[in-house]
Amino acid sequence: MTELLKIENLNKSFGALEVLKGIDLTVEKGETVVILGSSGSGKSTLLRCVNFMEIPTSGRIAIAGKPVGTERSRASGRIQVDYRESELIGIRATVGMVFQHFNLFPHMTAFGNVMEGPRTVLKLPRGECEARAETYLSKVGLADKMHSYPAHLSGGQQQRVAIARALAMEPQLMLFDEATSALDPELVGEVLQTIRSLADEGMTMLIVTHELGFAYSVASKVLFLSDGVILEQGAPDDVLVRPKQQRTRDFLRGHATYKLPDLAIT
Amino acid sequence: MEHIWDFESVFTNWRLLLIGLGNTVLLAVVCLGIGLFLGLFIGAARYSKNRLLNVPASVFVEVFRNTPALVQIMWFFFAFPIISPFRIDSFTAATLGLSLNTAAFCSEIYRAGIQSIHRGQWEAAKALGMRYGEQMRRVILPQAMRRMIPAFMNRAIELTKMTSLASVIAFGELVHQAKTISTIEFNPIETYTVVGLIFFIMIWPIAIAVRGLERRLSRHE
Amino acid sequence: MGYEWDFGVVFRDFDLLLLGLVNTLKVTGLALLFGVPLGLILALLRLSRHGVIRIPVGIVIEFLRSTPPLVQLFWLFFALPILTGINITPFIASVVTFSFQSSAFFAEVFRGGIVSIEKGQWEAAKAIGMDRGQSMRRVILPQAVKRMIPAFLERVIELMKTTTLVATVSYADLLYEANTIAQATFRPLEVFTVAAAMYFAVLFPVSLFVRRLERRLGRTGEGTVH
Repeated sequence: MTELLKIENLNKSFGALEVLKGIDLTVEKGETVVILGSSGSGKSTLLRCVNFMEIPTSGRIAIAGKPVGTERSRASGRIQVDYRESELIGIRATVGMVFQHFNLFPHMTAFGNVMEGPRTVLKLPRGECEARAETYLSKVGLADKMHSYPAHLSGGQQQRVAIARALAMEPQLMLFDEATSALDPELVGEVLQTIRSLADEGMTMLIVTHELGFAYSVASKVLFLSDGVILEQGAPDDVLVRPKQQRTRDFLRGHATYKLPDLAIT
Repeated sequence: MEHIWDFESVFTNWRLLLIGLGNTVLLAVVCLGIGLFLGLFIGAARYSKNRLLNVPASVFVEVFRNTPALVQIMWFFFAFPIISPFRIDSFTAATLGLSLNTAAFCSEIYRAGIQSIHRGQWEAAKALGMRYGEQMRRVILPQAMRRMIPAFMNRAIELTKMTSLASVIAFGELVHQAKTISTIEFNPIETYTVVGLIFFIMIWPIAIAVRGLERRLSRHE
Repeated sequence: MGYEWDFGVVFRDFDLLLLGLVNTLKVTGLALLFGVPLGLILALLRLSRHGVIRIPVGIVIEFLRSTPPLVQLFWLFFALPILTGINITPFIASVVTFSFQSSAFFAEVFRGGIVSIEKGQWEAAKAIGMDRGQSMRRVILPQAVKRMIPAFLERVIELMKTTTLVATVSYADLLYEANTIAQATFRPLEVFTVAAAMYFAVLFPVSLFVRRLERRLGRTGEGTVH
């Protein structure tokens, strides 16, 4: 197995507020890692640091064996790194991200949305961009909605277009930031199904979600984040069924309405 | 070409500028007062269901919003005296033009403010047994007023700038005084620079206050 | 009051009024031509992350917005020849003044439109690897422009009304011609009334169009900016 993502002693503060406190994480190629935690635990921030939507305060991130940025110093365990914007733009182009609120471009059709990245960022020839748009829209099951504008699509369809938009960049890593939290309950399934099929194809993914049942069935590894540290990590059975930490148990009990198979909460 | 700046010749005429400033402020305050007052009634008339009220009110608003203020002032100064029963001096003409202009714009602010209040507020007041006037006075206007204040302040800014138009009909406000000074002293650059700064100092604080208010309002709602 | 109206004198010189209207439209059009791109540039500079750019540009915009256009026009008309030694015609002074004056207002329209776009749009553009310029050009501006159209047209109306000031530096716009005819015929009531009606005839349709557009954009939930 090859190491696709390596995070080393990652810290992130917003002003005086420390959101991430020394995160270490390794993700192998083809792994599906689900990140759990209550709101404010830092799980979204962790995800957003991976593609540098947020610049880490300190710590090192390496993608596909290549450390990002230039290391300036390692004082008292804190790794200070300098980044160039052009390098970060390159990273973002190879890491896909799917947002809670879809953030589709409303002035473009589904087809236009998916074409936009290959066209503007990768500067591929028009024909190839169109081919990609067709391929990935079909992949998420929306070949018949290609020429619809986002306003005419359901929430679930919009989110699938957003997934196709990220896939069209042919990323090595996909990030899902609460991709189903803004959806009506009856639309959650189709999006989860799309994510699951990506997992089956061997896409490397980091998923922040509240859908515990989905996490259990799709994850190769589950992380439980609390107050900016990884409190517990391991196979779904270990973290979700036999959690060691009291705080993990409290969290799982709070989400007990989500049906989990033989969930042993005591 | 080398220009020797000479601000002293402006400041030796400070008395003229002070009179001008007084007249500018006087004109702005009078017109704002009349405009705010008339605007409320014109706004009410425009959205009344009675055609005898709403048609003339609409015509009034559209005419004053869609013709230049300078044309309005010149009309009241040069044209109106011919059919007017009373004498019209430059202050009266400027006041008529700018007050009615402001009233037309203010009536639209009142309307937008009142319409921005959610229908549920009317219904809640009605359900309590309030009459239309009570609903308006006790429930709608207090809420709408808060939202209208920034727009009224913007109107005050526009109005203050528009008072400069009264110089065209020789009313002794700031710009007219500046013309006089620059003709006597041959120093238009310095005089108009100073007058520009005086306007800026008067208006900019209002503009900042408007932005502060708008931010506060949008945070509250 | 037995005033006898006589519009005949106005219509004898109507071609002069029409010529004035053409000149009014000419100044308005040219001021738009220069003012709009300049406004966009000012807006982008004012949104810069660098204080050394943002703050001075902000002050220039505020100054242009907070002083009467008449003072700006006089300043330029009288000051520029003295400072530069170049003699400028009333026409050039007017076009230059109103280009700058309106650019400050257009800048605020552009800025309002740009900041009205949800943060998620910037994020989505960033996440697929766009830089700031690409995000602005491909994602933000196309959406912002649509919301800005009503505010933009309202500024155009204001601009055309403001161009009447050129009459004070003897440029033969509609108001100037009206004044000349009024003095020559001793019929100011008719002449100024007709001149006002001509402004109204041009501006009112634009106003109506703006209102319809706002209603339509409001209904589709896209909203507009002011």
